[in-house]
Amino acid sequence: MNITTSDTCISLEEGAESFTLLEKPERPDYTNVTERPYITFYYIEDESIWDRFRLCMERLPAFCQNDPYLGCYALALRQLYRPLLSDSRAKNVIAYGASPDCGAYPVIQDFMTFLQKGNALTALALSPFSFTALREAACCSLLYRLDACPAAAAVCNAISKVKQGGLILLYTIKDTLPSELEELCAMGEKDSFGSCTVYALTMSGAVSDFARTNGTDSFLFSRAADITARAGDLKNLIQAMLAGAALPGDAYLIAVTILQQIEELLLSIYDNLENDELPVRANELKEAVLNYYVGVSSHCSLTSYKEKLTQLSQLFFAAAEKEFSESE
Amino acid sequence: MSKYRMSMIPAYPLENVQLLKDRVIFPYACYRAFGESLTLVTKRTGEYPYLSFLEGARLEELPEDQPHMEAAVHYLSAHSGEIDLLFLFGARGEYMELARTYKSLRPDGIIYMKLDSNIDWANALPLFDESFAAFLRSCDIISCEARRLQAFLYKKWQRPVDYIPNGVYYPLYPEAADVRFEDKENIILTVGRLGTAQKNTLLLLYAYALAFPELKEPWDLVLVGSVTPEFQEDYNELCGRFPVLAPHIHLTGNISDKQKLYQYYKRAKIFALPSRLEGGSPNVFSEAAIFGCTVVTTGVDAADDMTDCGRVGRVSPDVEDFEGFSRQLLALCQDPAYLARNFHDMRAYMQEFFDYERLAQRLHVLVDVQQIKRRRP
Repeated sequence: MNITTSDTCISLEEGAESFTLLEKPERPDYTNVTERPYITFYYIEDESIWDRFRLCMERLPAFCQNDPYLGCYALALRQLYRPLLSDSRAKNVIAYGASPDCGAYPVIQDFMTFLQKGNALTALALSPFSFTALREAACCSLLYRLDACPAAAAVCNAISKVKQGGLILLYTIKDTLPSELEELCAMGEKDSFGSCTVYALTMSGAVSDFARTNGTDSFLFSRAADITARAGDLKNLIQAMLAGAALPGDAYLIAVTILQQIEELLLSIYDNLENDELPVRANELKEAVLNYYVGVSSHCSLTSYKEKLTQLSQLFFAAAEKEFSESE
Repeated sequence: MSKYRMSMIPAYPLENVQLLKDRVIFPYACYRAFGESLTLVTKRTGEYPYLSFLEGARLEELPEDQPHMEAAVHYLSAHSGEIDLLFLFGARGEYMELARTYKSLRPDGIIYMKLDSNIDWANALPLFDESFAAFLRSCDIISCEARRLQAFLYKKWQRPVDYIPNGVYYPLYPEAADVRFEDKENIILTVGRLGTAQKNTLLLLYAYALAFPELKEPWDLVLVGSVTPEFQEDYNELCGRFPVLAPHIHLTGNISDKQKLYQYYKRAKIFALPSRLEGGSPNVFSEAAIFGCTVVTTGVDAADDMTDCGRVGRVSPDVEDFEGFSRQLLALCQDPAYLARNFHDMRAYMQEFFDYERLAQRLHVLVDVQQIKRRRP
C-alpha cells in the first residue's frame, strides 16, 4: 500500500486500486478558521495547510515502515482534517491501542501543531485504566485501534471521553467486527481500503447512550446491584439461622452458594473496589455459615459458632453497605 | 448430599510418617465423612505400618521403573473415571500435567488443593507463567492454612481461597480425652527438629534463661526432638555458663513412641513455638493444644489462628526478639489462673475449629456447591 501525492491530489494506492484521501481545494472557504492559509495563492508565500498536509502524508510511509495500519492512519488523518480546520480552539485528540512509539503519532502531532500550537495528540498506555484518568467529555477526538482492545466496555469507556459533536475514529485491519460493536459502528461512516478500515462517528445522543449502556460504569452498576440483591437475601437467611428458626435442609447450602456467588461477583469488579478486602470478608462469612451448619448437624454447642456468625455477618454487611452506597 | 470417590496423589512418594500428617489425614477424614472410597496413589518408599490407622483407605502402588509423577499421570489417565474428587497437596509445578490430564478426562471432576504454604513460598509462585496460572485455575477449591496468608492470596491471585487449618483427627488421639489440668506440671514444652534455622530453638533457650530469675515457682523447659550439633553446643555453653539452669532444661532426644510423647503433652502446661517460619500451624501445635497446653508462639503466619488472636494463647510477633518471647513466657508462668482456665478454652477452641471431622463436613458442602454449579446450564 502506498500514499501518492501530486499538486492536486493525495491518495492511497494498492495495485490498480486507489482511494482519494484529499483533493486540493481550488479556493479557500469558510471551513478553515485556523491561522494558517488554506492554500497558497496570490501573494501568500507561507506554507499552506494543503502543503503541510501533503508533506505529512508523504512522510507517513517512512515513519510507519512495515506497519500494517498505514492505510488506517491515512484514512484517520483524512477524517481529522475537517474538524481540525473548523475550530480555532486548541484541540486534544486521544489515541489508544498502538504502541507508544507508533510512527504515525509524531506525523499527526506535527500537522496538528502546524495548525495550532496548543493542539495535542495524547497517546494513552494500553491499559483499561488509562481512561479513568480522564474526565467525561474531555477530548474533541478519539483515535482507537479496535484490534488492540475490541471489548465493547473498553471502546465505550473511551468514547465517553469525547465531547458532544466530537469525532470518534475506530480503526481495524481485521475482516470482521466483533458482533457487540456492529450496532455502534453502523452509526458512523465507514472508509475502507485494502485491509484497512476506519469507522468515523460523531459523538451524538445515540452514540452517548450506547456508550453509557455498554461501558464499564454500567457493568459495575449492574454487578453492584446483583451483589446488593444477593446480600439482601443472605441477610434474611442468616437472621433466621441466628434466631434458631426451623430452616429447610438445604438452607445452609443455599447460603453458602449465595456467598460463593457474591465472592465471584466481587472478584469480577475487584479493580474497582474501594475496599479490596471485601471478597475476604465474604469468604470469612461463608466459613462462619459452614461452621454453624456443622455445629447444627453435629448437635454440639453453638455458642462460639453463633458468636462468630453474628460478628462476621455484621462486619460483612456493614462493609458491603459502605462499599455500594458510596459507589451509587 | 453426595458421596464421592476420592483419590489423593502426593507430588512426591509418601513416607510412612506422612500417612498421619495433614496431606493424608485430611483426605481420610473427608473419606470418612462423605467418601465412597479413598485411594492413596504413590510409589513405595518402604513399609507403611501407619496404614493400619486408615481403615478403608487403599494404597495404590505406582510402578518402580518410572518417575513418581509420570507414573501418577499414567494411573490417572487409566482411572480418572473412578475419581470424583482429587486431592492435591501443595501448589507444585509437578502437578501441572496431572491436573491438566484429569480435567481433560473428567471435566465434571473436582480438584481440591490444600496449599501447605507460607508467605515465602506463596510469593515465589510463577503466576506470570501461563501453564502454572492455568493449573491454579483448574483447581476448583484451594485452601490455605493461615488467615493472614488467605488475605494475601486474595489480593495476589484474585480468586477464592478458603481457610482450612492444619487440624487434628481426634480418633487418632484417644489419650486426649483423658487429660486433667490438675495432673499438669510446671513444664514448658517444645517439640521439633531442635536447633534448625526454621525451628529457631535458640530463641526459646535464651528466652527461658532470661525469664528464669523472675520465676516465682520452678518451671522446667523440656525440649523434645532431634538435636543439631550446633544446638547441642549452644545448650552446653548456656548450661556451663549458668549452672543454675542446667537441672531445669531437658533434652530428651527424638521420641518416636507416640504414647511417650503424649505423656509430655499431658504434663506440660505451656507449649512454646519459637519458629521463624511455618506453613500454617504445625502438627505439634495441634497435638499440644488438644492436650490443653497454652501456646506461646512467635509471629508465624498462623499465630493469630493458633491463639484466636491472643485469646487462647500468646504471640510474640518478632521471630528474633527473645526478650519479647521471654516476657510472654514469664507472663504465662506467673498466671496460674489463666493457665487453668485456658486449659478448657484451648481444648474447646480446637474441637470447634480444628477438628478434621468438622472441617471435612465443611469441605463436603463446598464440593457439593461446586457440583451444583457444574450442573447448571
